[in-house]
Amino acid sequence: MRARSASAPKFMNLSQIRFPVGAIASIGHRVSGVLLLVSLPLLALALDRSLRSESEFEALRDLVSEPWRALLLVILVWAAAHHVLAGVRHLLMDIGVGSRLSQARTSAWAAILAAGIIALAAAVRWLS
Amino acid sequence: MRLFLGQRAWVLQRVTALVLLILLALGAATLLTGPSRSYEGWHALATSTHGAVLIVVFFAALCLHGWIGVRDIVLDYIHAPALRLPLLALIAVILFAIFIRVVLTMAAHFAGGA
Amino acid sequence: MRVSIYRFNPETDAKPRMQDYDVAPEAGDKKLLDVLMRLKTMDDSLSFRRSCREGVCGSDAMNINGRNGLACLTSLPGLKEPVVLRPLPGFPVIRDLIVDMTQFFAHYHSIKPYLINNEVPPERERLQSPAEREKLNGLYECILCACCSAFCPSFWWNPDKFIGPAGLLQAYRFIADSRDTATAARLAYLDDVYRLYRCRTIMNCTEVCPKGLSPSHAIERIRLALVRESS
Repeated sequence: MRARSASAPKFMNLSQIRFPVGAIASIGHRVSGVLLLVSLPLLALALDRSLRSESEFEALRDLVSEPWRALLLVILVWAAAHHVLAGVRHLLMDIGVGSRLSQARTSAWAAILAAGIIALAAAVRWLS
Repeated sequence: MRLFLGQRAWVLQRVTALVLLILLALGAATLLTGPSRSYEGWHALATSTHGAVLIVVFFAALCLHGWIGVRDIVLDYIHAPALRLPLLALIAVILFAIFIRVVLTMAAHFAGGA
Repeated sequence: MRVSIYRFNPETDAKPRMQDYDVAPEAGDKKLLDVLMRLKTMDDSLSFRRSCREGVCGSDAMNINGRNGLACLTSLPGLKEPVVLRPLPGFPVIRDLIVDMTQFFAHYHSIKPYLINNEVPPERERLQSPAEREKLNGLYECILCACCSAFCPSFWWNPDKFIGPAGLLQAYRFIADSRDTATAARLAYLDDVYRLYRCRTIMNCTEVCPKGLSPSHAIERIRLALVRESS
């Protein structure tokens, strides 16, 4: 029985599974966390340069003048917004606030939509 | 065995999250409104004692929070010990190096700005 | 009505395939299980578990149109066609819709799913106040169908180490029981990066529980109990 299980197939095709909204918010939390972590060296670098001189400080503020940099920043704005909002949702649910299924569904939708709107606002501001 | 107790990491993840939330709110309030929108204002804030301490605390919390999060991701998806342990060690070293880099940055400017 | 079913026979198939069936439900057919029974009369090689056919035994759990559920509790009206039936995700497939639950039950047994109380038993039963009994509501009803654990991403990635929502709900059922005296030992056993703390509160478990229970809520209570225990 056990020997057969080792070679047995498993149904594990994520594209054929209908994920609830909470799962979407959750994987978004994970993806955004990775994006933020990957950009952490850049943040440390930005901190250093912002303190060096006035021209370096101004150069940081002008980052968005280059479209591909602005696009990267929009992605990071989404990541930060989603990670913070989904994170607050989790912190509250940990202590029992909004951890009922119906409330958790609503807050998952809210976090996903609000992060999208914030990223869209950043895109409109920097990319147009 | 203590390495595998789960609660400490879980609590630390939440504590660092709270610290980050508070500092982010504080940072957003000062950076977006006050005089720190200009270089002089920002430089004065960041090189003052409490400004520098808060920035170091912010990065410490960020690195710790990131470490716990990425450790969870590795525990979930990467199971081969030969891959997992070096990967975790590498990430830990990089995060620690980033934190040291921030401390050095702040120390350099703190001394210069005093 | 068109039904598309995951087929796998370990004796003849190298890998699983999907097979389509067309079946006309009759007047008395109310639930998906009724259709499956009808299909079984058309094709007796089709394999699935079922017993009580009313959501108590928990044996006909499967993935229905991308979500886990019990065939016997899934109403036919409102089911999107073709109805796609697959075995519980992440579990080793024995044949067609039948999965190997060995590991699932090993996790269940690991949390000692029985009352532990070494005090001298009273003359009659151990009494509980109505308030204490109330705490077991939403916990004792679990039928161990595995819909939740088989819908939990954390369980998919670490099925050998993470106890999973079903096992953790059962663990909390005994932690919350006023008659049980092993609470500290139970919590100590769960305080582990894998056993309990793989849970990321995705809540897929609560989404699919056919009994309307909330394993995520039980896990939340276990984590808070652990915080209280250590402070």
